[in-house]
Amino acid sequence: MAGASAIARRAFADSRVRTISFAVLFVLSSITQATAYREGYPTLAERRDFARSVGDNDAARMLYGTPHDLLSVGGYVSWRVGGTLAVFAALWGLLGAVRAMRAEEESGRAELLLAGLISRRKAFLAQLAAIAAGAIVLWLALFVSFLAGRLPVDGSAYLALAIVSVVPVFAGVGAVASQLAPTRRMATGLATAVLVIAFALRTVAAVSSAGLDWLRWATPLGWAEQLRPFADPQPLVLLLPAATGALLLGAAGALAVRRDVGSGLLPARDSAPPRLRLLRSPGAQALRSERGALVAWLVGVGAFALLMGVMSDAATPDVISENVRRQLEKLGTDSVVTPSGWLGFFFIFFILAISLFCCMQISSLRGEEAEQRLETLLSLPVGRSGWLAGRLLLAAAGAAAVALAAGLLAWAGAAAQGADVSLPETLGAGANTLPPALLFLALGALAFALAPRASTVIAYGLVGLAFVWELFGALLEVPAWLLAVSPFHDVGLVPGEPFEAIPAAIMLTLAAVGALAALWAFRRRDLVGA
Amino acid sequence: MTAIRTAGLSKRYGETLALDGLDLVVEPGEVYGYLGPNGAGKTTTIRLLLGLLRPSAGRVELFGVDAWRDPVAAHRRVAYVAAEPYLWPGLTGAETLEFLARVRGGADAGYREELIGRFQLDARKKVRALSHGNRQKVQLIAAFASRADLLILDEPTGGLDPLMEMAFRETVREAKERGQTVFLSSHILSEVEAVCERVGILRAGRLVDEGRLADLRHLSAQTVEVTFDGRVPQLPKLPGVEVAEAGVNALRFEVRGSVGPLITALADQSVVSLESRAPSLEEIFLHHYEGGDGRGGR
Repeated sequence: MAGASAIARRAFADSRVRTISFAVLFVLSSITQATAYREGYPTLAERRDFARSVGDNDAARMLYGTPHDLLSVGGYVSWRVGGTLAVFAALWGLLGAVRAMRAEEESGRAELLLAGLISRRKAFLAQLAAIAAGAIVLWLALFVSFLAGRLPVDGSAYLALAIVSVVPVFAGVGAVASQLAPTRRMATGLATAVLVIAFALRTVAAVSSAGLDWLRWATPLGWAEQLRPFADPQPLVLLLPAATGALLLGAAGALAVRRDVGSGLLPARDSAPPRLRLLRSPGAQALRSERGALVAWLVGVGAFALLMGVMSDAATPDVISENVRRQLEKLGTDSVVTPSGWLGFFFIFFILAISLFCCMQISSLRGEEAEQRLETLLSLPVGRSGWLAGRLLLAAAGAAAVALAAGLLAWAGAAAQGADVSLPETLGAGANTLPPALLFLALGALAFALAPRASTVIAYGLVGLAFVWELFGALLEVPAWLLAVSPFHDVGLVPGEPFEAIPAAIMLTLAAVGALAALWAFRRRDLVGA
Repeated sequence: MTAIRTAGLSKRYGETLALDGLDLVVEPGEVYGYLGPNGAGKTTTIRLLLGLLRPSAGRVELFGVDAWRDPVAAHRRVAYVAAEPYLWPGLTGAETLEFLARVRGGADAGYREELIGRFQLDARKKVRALSHGNRQKVQLIAAFASRADLLILDEPTGGLDPLMEMAFRETVREAKERGQTVFLSSHILSEVEAVCERVGILRAGRLVDEGRLADLRHLSAQTVEVTFDGRVPQLPKLPGVEVAEAGVNALRFEVRGSVGPLITALADQSVVSLESRAPSLEEIFLHHYEGGDGRGGR
C-alpha cells in the first residue's frame, strides 16, 4: 500500500504546475463575474433585455453554451463561465491522464515501478487517485471564487461540481487513449479529438433552435449544462458522467493489466523507408517535426475564424442590447454592433491564440535543448545564433500563416452570410495580430537565452498575465497608462477600429531588439539540460 | 598543428570545481585515452572542448581554433559521439544519418553503408524504437562516416555488446590508420588499453597522471586471486609481486611483469582456485591515486 501511495503522491506532484495553472485560470475567470453582472444589470428589466439578446445571439450561445436562467446572478455566472470552464476542466482531465499513464510508460519510468512490488492494478488506481486529488483542487478553486462573488454556499458548491463533473469522463477518455496509443503525442491527439467532437456537439445543440437540441444529451459537456445550477438543479444527471467515467476508467484499467507494458494496443509504426525531404538544415528538420502541430493550429484557428465570420452577420443593434454594448465599452470596444466591429472584438482572441502558438514554439526549442538534442546539433558545424535565428524565423512564419488563415476564413464565413466585410479588412485584422504575438515570441526567446529552465513558464506566463490584465484591468478601472502595459490593450481592434500604427511599430521594434538580445545572450551561456 | 590544446582549462559550477586547470595536448594522428571514474569531469571536459560550456578560466583550441569563440569553425574538422544518444525520436536511423551528414556538409556514403553492415544497424527503424545500444550505433556510424580529422568519443561503447565492442575497436584502428585523431573518454581500462597509445587519468577534476600506456606500469599490472584449502601459507618475497589484500584462506596479489615466479611458488601449495584478471579502474585508483584530500597526486 505504501508503494501505491508513493506513486499517487509522485503523480500529483508531477502535475502540480498544470493543476495550479488551471486553478488560477479558473479563479481569474470566475471571481469577478457575479459582481460584474450585478453592476451591469441591476434591474430585472435590464436582465430581461439581456436574456432576450442572448436568446437571439447564436455566437454567444455557441461560445458559452445554452443558458437556463439569465435573470439571477447565479444563473448568469453558470452560463457565462460554466460551459467554458467545463471545456478546460475536460482538457485538464485528459492531459492529466495521458501524462500519468502513457507519458510515464513511454519514458520507461513506469517499467521501473512495475518491476518492483507494485501490481499494475494498484499503479493504475494510484494514478487515478492523483487525478481525483487534482480535481478536488480545481473544485475548491471554483467554489471559493463563487463564494467570493457572494453567491449562495450550496449553489456555489453545486456549480463547481457541475464544472468538474466532466473530469472523470475525460480522464477516462485520456486513460483509454493511453492504452491504445503507443506514444504520448498520439494519446493526447486521440483524446483531444474526442474533446473537440464533444465541444462541436454542444455547439450544434446550443445554436440549433429546434430539431438537434437533443444532441446536448450526447456530450458530457452538455450534461454539465443539464445539471442546471441555480436555474433548476437536476442532480440526478450526475449519474451520467459518473457512470460514463466509471465505464471508461474501468475499461482502461482492464486493458492496462492485460497488455504488454511499454507498448500500446495500436501498432507503432516503428520502421519506414527513408524520406529525405526537409533534412538539409536544422531549420528544415524543425519544420519537419513541427508541421503536424502547425497544421493542427491552422485547422483549429481557421475553423474558429470561419464560425466568427458566419456569426458576424448577426451583429446588429437590434440583437446586441445597450447593456452588452456598455459592458464592451469598458474593454475599449464601442462598435461591436457592426460585422466588422464584431470581428475586430473577436480578433483579440486570435491575438491570444497566435501568441500562445509562439509560446509553444519557445517550449519546443527549449525542449530541443533540455533533451540534449541541441548538443548533438551544436557539436556539428552549426552556430548557436544561426540555429536560434532559424527557429525564431520558423516560429514567426508559422504565426504569420496562422494569422492570415484566420483573416481569410473570417472573411469567407462573413461573405457566405453576405455580411459587409471585405477581404483586405479581415486580412488586415489577421496581420494586426502579429506585432503583439511577435513581441511575445521575442520575450520568450529572451527568457530562453537568460533563464532556460524557466523559459516556457515565463513565455506562457507573460501572455496569460497580459491578457488577464487587459480583461480585468478594464473592469477594475485601472488608469489607462497602466493598462497600456499589456500589448493586448495597445492594438487597434481592426477591422472595426483603425489600425494603430505607432503601437504596432513600437511592438515590432521591441520584438526585433528582444530577438537580437536573445541571440547575443544565448551565445554567451552554457547549454543547460533538463 | 595540435589537434587539441587546452591551457589552464577550468569549469566551476557554483561551489563545485568540476574541472581544475587542465593542460592537455593531443597531437594529430594520436589515439588518446581519457580515463576517470564516474563524476571525475570527463564529460565536462568534452563539453568544454566542443564549446558547449563556457570555460570559467583557461582556453581550448581544436586545430588552432578557439572552441568557445568560434565553435562553428572548430567543429568543421570534428565529429562527436555523446555518452547518451540524444537523437530525434521521429526520424529513422537512415534519416538521422542523412540529416547529420547534410548538416555537417557531407559524409563518406560508401563507408557509411559498410559501417551500417558492420554494426548490424536496422536503419529503417525509428529512433524511438531503438534500444540504447542501437542508438549509440547510429551516433558512432555518423561520426566515423564523417571522416572528420578529430573524433571526440564520450564513453561511446555503453550499451554495446561484446561483438559490437570489437567492431568499435576495429573501426577506431581504421581511423588511426587513416591518420585521424581520436579522443576516447572511458572508464573501462581494457577498452583504452586495446586502442589507445597515450592516456590521461582524471580524478576529481584534475589530471593526476599522463603518459604512454607502457610507461604507466601500474596500469598494466594484473590482479591474481588465489584461494587455498585451509589457511594462507607463508610465501617467499617475489620480485614484482605484491600482496594487495590478505584474507583467512585467500590472497590477492598485484603482479607486474611475468606471473611465472608466483605460479612456481604456488605450485607446492594446496590451491583451490586461481583467477587472474586486469585490475579494475577502481582498484587502480584505490592503490595509486589515493590522496588525503580525495584529490590526485601520488
